[in-house]
Amino acid sequence: MGTTPEPGTGATNRAGEAPEQVGLSTEAEGETTVTEEGTELERSIGLVGGIAIGVGTMIGAGIFVFPGLAAGRAGPAAAGSFAIGAVIALLVALPASELATAMPKSGGGYYFISRALGALPGAVVGISIWLGLVFATAFYLVGFGNYAAALLAEAGVNLGGVPIVIPMALVFGVLLTALNLFGTENAAKLQNYVVGLLLTILVLFLSYGGLDALGVFGTQSTPETFFRFGPFPMFTTAALVFTSYLGFAQVATVAGDIKDPGRNLPLAMVGSVLIVAVLYVATIFVATSAFGSARLETFGETAIVEVARNFVGGTGALAILLAGLLATVSSANASILSTSRAVFAVSKDAIIPKAAARMNLKYGTPHVALAMAGGPVLVLVALGEVEVLAEVASFLHLVMYGLMCVALISMRRDEPEWYDPDFRVPAHRLVAGIGAIASFGLILFMQTTSQVIGLAIMLAAAGWYKYYAADVELKGVL
Amino acid sequence: MSDDDPAPTAESIMSDNDLDIREPPRILVPVEVLEGESISESLVEFLAPARIILLGYHVLPEQTPTEQASMQFEDRARTAVEDIADTFRGVGRGVETRVAFTHDRDQTVERVAEEVGATAILLPNPSSDIEDVLVPIRGAVDVGRLADLVSTLLGGHAGTVTLWGLDTGGEYDTDAAVERARETLLDRGLPAEQITAEHAESESPVWDIVDRSGEFDIIVMGAGGPSLLSSLFGDPTERVAEGAVAPVIVVRTRED
Repeated sequence: MGTTPEPGTGATNRAGEAPEQVGLSTEAEGETTVTEEGTELERSIGLVGGIAIGVGTMIGAGIFVFPGLAAGRAGPAAAGSFAIGAVIALLVALPASELATAMPKSGGGYYFISRALGALPGAVVGISIWLGLVFATAFYLVGFGNYAAALLAEAGVNLGGVPIVIPMALVFGVLLTALNLFGTENAAKLQNYVVGLLLTILVLFLSYGGLDALGVFGTQSTPETFFRFGPFPMFTTAALVFTSYLGFAQVATVAGDIKDPGRNLPLAMVGSVLIVAVLYVATIFVATSAFGSARLETFGETAIVEVARNFVGGTGALAILLAGLLATVSSANASILSTSRAVFAVSKDAIIPKAAARMNLKYGTPHVALAMAGGPVLVLVALGEVEVLAEVASFLHLVMYGLMCVALISMRRDEPEWYDPDFRVPAHRLVAGIGAIASFGLILFMQTTSQVIGLAIMLAAAGWYKYYAADVELKGVL
Repeated sequence: MSDDDPAPTAESIMSDNDLDIREPPRILVPVEVLEGESISESLVEFLAPARIILLGYHVLPEQTPTEQASMQFEDRARTAVEDIADTFRGVGRGVETRVAFTHDRDQTVERVAEEVGATAILLPNPSSDIEDVLVPIRGAVDVGRLADLVSTLLGGHAGTVTLWGLDTGGEYDTDAAVERARETLLDRGLPAEQITAEHAESESPVWDIVDRSGEFDIIVMGAGGPSLLSSLFGDPTERVAEGAVAPVIVVRTRED
């Protein structure tokens, strides 16, 4: 069938392109991957860089959006909801880690699923995760606009009632895309600094608030009944806040660039989940201690700002607003980077035209893939319907997480010869099984609109595969 | 990885005869090939007595996966490296080539230098005919390696070596090091009239070396250990290479 047969691959897509094999899997260790022709691909992201990607992607929504909402639903037990969310995230992170150490290639979830379950599920996940990331980026950018507006208002800048949220989000979306397109200085380094500064502010805030709640400064706050609404809402609220753990799998999208992937990939994924889990739980604890969950609920999405104001006045509010700004910047930037990698991964496998993987020699950046990330994001931001889209993003991520767990079970059932992960999940059937059930189960808690849009996107992706790349086979092809 | 081991080739056996029993020094030549960087003919000729490991590399911003770059530019990079390798082969020497796509040039150069056991690393700069060599000595340096390298490269040429001790006021006895280097060079058969020894006090060796670089055709210097200053301002050898008008050969400290 194929006119340009490559080793191990069956066929080509409609444009006659076959999946391309870049790194030899056997050589993917230590600091280099070696291609068939002997060219060395340096791995340059260390453990800290990997954790910064994971934490940077996750931290945006969880700390700043959810405390008020979650406390309103579950009372102080919302801290327990975040802990449950973390456990579920770990149940998915462990299988993802094993798959990533066995296949340390750029592309993450898409790569594992296409190799373990075949090209059709792979294509559906690959294409829908591209759009899922686009939606998520738009959501973060609008969040950025909100924080920027609130920060200006807090600082006393009078805007005369001009709405600036969407314009700010658009401007910043253009800036981030441009930075990634033309920035020969590393955009990923920026990520490390932003995450570092963000974590510093949060840790200071939480230590102060934690000491205050324990009665070190002044009066001890009256402890509220932990299960104010009984234990059941703690579990349903866990479904809501799980969204704030979406993103740890993004570490796997840069797997091809991570040094010593056998060690660093699992550590970065599990480590970043644990770091944000501790931050989330501490935030809820501090917030509910400061105000009580009923009052916290009335503050809604800016609850955490009010908590900070309560502790240290206007300065505290400003610092937390700045942290929120940084969190949305890091999440948006990490998502744009991941989007371009996701596009590259499907394009390399000939699921979409190879042209999408082209890069620009002058700037050394993947301009087509970056444009396929930034362009739709700006359209979505301008439309403004981002809340639904954020949930659609979660939907698409959850499908990928569930399928990753299935992929692990399928891989282990009949292990191919090349399957030799450095890290093996203990009791894998149980871990991956619960991970899959939890991931798919959470989808049921979503709004019908989101479910319909999510399904439509997956069907469209499947349709595209059938039309464009039905002959491409990826199962078991490394 | 077995292909990293230097297999004894006809060339190395031949050069062994030229140099009594000593292994020829191995010089790593990193070239940013896709940026059109190249090695001048005079430099190729000067380096001819050494074994050359030619590393063609391309630096990518971190937002670009190395796989993506290699898919599109691997062939072009390999061709460019082979073109440069041919100029070395043209002067009758074997050359080993490697191609790497990286986000971090220093990491790649250091890793390859380690893997091939390089004696020295070339930091290319434009050059005309190479005759006069400046060897600044400003701290602990592997004198044996340095002397091997300089005597091999200059063997049979008319060029001169200027050993220049730069005393920064530290504990390091620069005078003794210069003297030791001079004696080792004489031992290696370099005629005494080709060697000059000089001394100077220096507050900032990097600037002084850069200032004098115009008088010489090439600089050979020791890598020097990591220091606080180098982590702030970059490696001293790289700062010399950036400022100097001549190419710089950095002698690596022998790994244990």
